[in-house]
Amino acid sequence: MEILNQFGVQPVLLAAQVVNFLILLFILNKLLYKPILRVLDERKKRIEDSLKNAEEIEKRLNEISEREAEMVLRSAKEGEKIIKEATDYAAQLIEDSRKEYERLINKGMIDARRVGQMEKDMIMQQAKSGLGEIISLALEKVTGKILSQKDQGQIIEKTIKEFKT
Amino acid sequence: MEKVVLKPEILGYFNFLPITNTLLVSWIVIMVLTIISFIVASKVKKVPDKLQNIFELVIDFGYSLVSDLAGPQKAKVFFPIVVTFFFFILFANLLGLLPGFATITFKHEPLFRSMNSDLNMTLALALTSAFLTHAFALRYLGVADYLKKWFTLNPIFLFVGLLELIGEFTKIVSLSFRLFGNIFAGEVVLSTVAAIFAFIIPLPFYLLEIIVGFVQAAVFMMLTLVFMVLLSEKHEVDHN
Repeated sequence: MEILNQFGVQPVLLAAQVVNFLILLFILNKLLYKPILRVLDERKKRIEDSLKNAEEIEKRLNEISEREAEMVLRSAKEGEKIIKEATDYAAQLIEDSRKEYERLINKGMIDARRVGQMEKDMIMQQAKSGLGEIISLALEKVTGKILSQKDQGQIIEKTIKEFKT
Repeated sequence: MEKVVLKPEILGYFNFLPITNTLLVSWIVIMVLTIISFIVASKVKKVPDKLQNIFELVIDFGYSLVSDLAGPQKAKVFFPIVVTFFFFILFANLLGLLPGFATITFKHEPLFRSMNSDLNMTLALALTSAFLTHAFALRYLGVADYLKKWFTLNPIFLFVGLLELIGEFTKIVSLSFRLFGNIFAGEVVLSTVAAIFAFIIPLPFYLLEIIVGFVQAAVFMMLTLVFMVLLSEKHEVDHN
């Protein structure tokens, strides 16, 4: 092993370097590889999770927009229905109030006619009594005497009858 | 011109352990890497800052490479070893290229010397790589299947197995000498060029050496990974 001697190879030095390597292996494994591989792993997992989440969110969004469209359609239909009902109701209401109003007008007219008749009657009555008095006064003046109650009545009756015709 | 020295310079002795300048640099590399990982690990966040980003990039790339080649199950075991080879060799090579690195002297010897310009260091790494490769092969295949890789009753495959057994030793030699040769040659080139003309001219060579340092780290890592994957798979003969 002359060649090894020329290169200065000594078993002790070989052993020392092997020990050096093992120490370095231990230190780096503990301080460098494990933490960094762990961080890389975590990051990878996190990215995977994020991608999965993004997919989920997109799916959910699609679902929501679908449901939204459906809901808009349904509410449009419902709105139409409500409007139709309201229109019908309003027509009914108009019809009802028209009838009511007609009825009221008719009634008013009848009432008015009745009241008119009543007033006419009353005037007639007053006129009758007023006329009697005037006639009796006129008779007194003409005849110069006071007629008896009976005569008076007869004459008034007669005059009124004539007057009427 | 400087004399080319193959042996690392010995700075002193700690009991029976000779402290060479390459061993010292090896310790410094470990310290630098430890401090950097401390900084990175102390503020690991989900949203990374610049430093964390760089290491995430390398580690993520390394991990996907390993799990592509070895499968997710074995990747967890292979990955730390393979990437540690990469970081260790890369930082050692880059540290050795720092300007003025080899100029500091201690007792008339250079205090620092690029770690991988010493065969001791590269051979140790290659041996570790080979040992771990075979250990994983044993673990994943079991003793019977592991031995079947090299020894079978079929005489042709027995011969092939013996060749592959020799190949296992060549792997160690090629891994260690490739790294050592590249870095040592780089050091020699740099000092030679600097000795010729110290201004501007060494710059392209420095750039080259940075690339070489990175490539050698990547090559060591890739080869170790491939050896591990190949050896811990069942021999194809079994399927026939």
